[in-house]
Amino acid sequence: MQPTSTMNEEFLKKWQMGLQMFRPSIDNASVSERKRAIKLSADVAMASLRKGTTCWSRALIQKTATEDNFLVRQMLSGIKEETLINKKLPKVMCHRKIVRRSKKILMRRKSRSAMEEVAAKAKKLVKRKTQGLRNVVPGGEFMSNNVLLIQETLDYIVSLQTQVNVMRSIVDAAEAGIER
Amino acid sequence: MDLSVLERVKWLQQQQMVSPDFFEILGSDGREELKRVESYLGNNNDELQSFRHYETIDGCISRTSSFQIEQVKNNEENRVIALQHKRKTEGKTEKIENKKKKKIKTEDETESSMKGKSNMSNSETSSEIQKRDYIHVRARRGEATDRHSLAERARREKLSKKMKCLQDIVPGCNKVTGKAGMLDEIINYVQSLQQQVEFLSMKLSVLNPELEYHINELSTKQFQACFTDLPEAVSKQLMMVDASSFPLQHQESLDYSVINSIQTTTLGSKDQTSSGWEIHSQSLYNNLRTDSVSSFFSLE
Repeated sequence: MQPTSTMNEEFLKKWQMGLQMFRPSIDNASVSERKRAIKLSADVAMASLRKGTTCWSRALIQKTATEDNFLVRQMLSGIKEETLINKKLPKVMCHRKIVRRSKKILMRRKSRSAMEEVAAKAKKLVKRKTQGLRNVVPGGEFMSNNVLLIQETLDYIVSLQTQVNVMRSIVDAAEAGIER
Repeated sequence: MDLSVLERVKWLQQQQMVSPDFFEILGSDGREELKRVESYLGNNNDELQSFRHYETIDGCISRTSSFQIEQVKNNEENRVIALQHKRKTEGKTEKIENKKKKKIKTEDETESSMKGKSNMSNSETSSEIQKRDYIHVRARRGEATDRHSLAERARREKLSKKMKCLQDIVPGCNKVTGKAGMLDEIINYVQSLQQQVEFLSMKLSVLNPELEYHINELSTKQFQACFTDLPEAVSKQLMMVDASSFPLQHQESLDYSVINSIQTTTLGSKDQTSSGWEIHSQSLYNNLRTDSVSSFFSLE
């Protein structure tokens, strides 16, 4: 699934809307402020394209809401913003240290063969990687099963691609214009 | 399980597919019993569904009509036996056909011919029910056929399907095999995309802020036109340029560059795309060359 032009369009529209909110303050602000404004509005625009259907979009909106509540409210006006912002994120699945300790104790009791050891190591590796993926994808810690995680990753990657496409095109247009 | 059995029986009666056969077999006395069973099921449907004491239900129904429940139980056994027999059958056959075959075989083994007849009719209808109620997973030869492993296998296949989709999207995943390597690539790709977003937003913020202004001012209508009819839009605007030439608005000049850049947007390497954009924008800007444009860009 590649990002379509309609997705590019919609993202651009929403991003413009978000940037417009910063217009009065944006000229005098520093570079970092501007960058923050751009990035936050782009993130919210990307997440709002999904309209709350995917887990990562909700988590992303909530993360930006902690940083800039007003912006999120304005941008999401009309798309059930109250429920999206106020919705509590589900509790963290499990306390990892405790689980690890108890697993160690369990593993000591089991007797292992060579084949089992190899399989166990492979499984550990896969588990570590999925944990890494959960750290990268927003809201990954709250996805209970792996199938959901992979689904969300897919959607997230496509949205990131649209975001990068649109931003890159604007940057290049601006650069090309400046060179003249 | 018992509740589903009851539901199935009730469904059978509602469909009235089995009742004519039943009536033939049961005779007049059986018909009364059947009516009693129907009334029982009809009145107490809601209660039954929330009722947790399976043994008492069994007891009640067995009093009224043991004949029916034995039938349906037989069907379940047939299904299980069919699944188990699958290991012995050679070649891949349709699951439903297998079931029917096995049911006919087991019917020969049963004692009464009456039971056999009703089994046939029941088996057909219940297999139809099973078609609708259950998700069919084909049990392959030499693999476990109990529910847990079937469900797990279905889950695993779902997962591998999704991973294949990811393989198409993430570049460079074709060479790596195995879950760990692919997950590695996926993580790297997502991280690189996120870094690109950061970098691009930094770049945008460094560029003249007026640019963002004017990008905002561009109407969305123009953009929509651009995205749908790209070559026509570009040619139209070029003609406009030739006709009106000087002076041009700031907005229109930005239009050209943005149109072209978005038109040729792909996720290829940055060098390729940027060169394409460069060429396009250069050719257009050669045509423009207005005082207003240069003044605009030299403002900052």
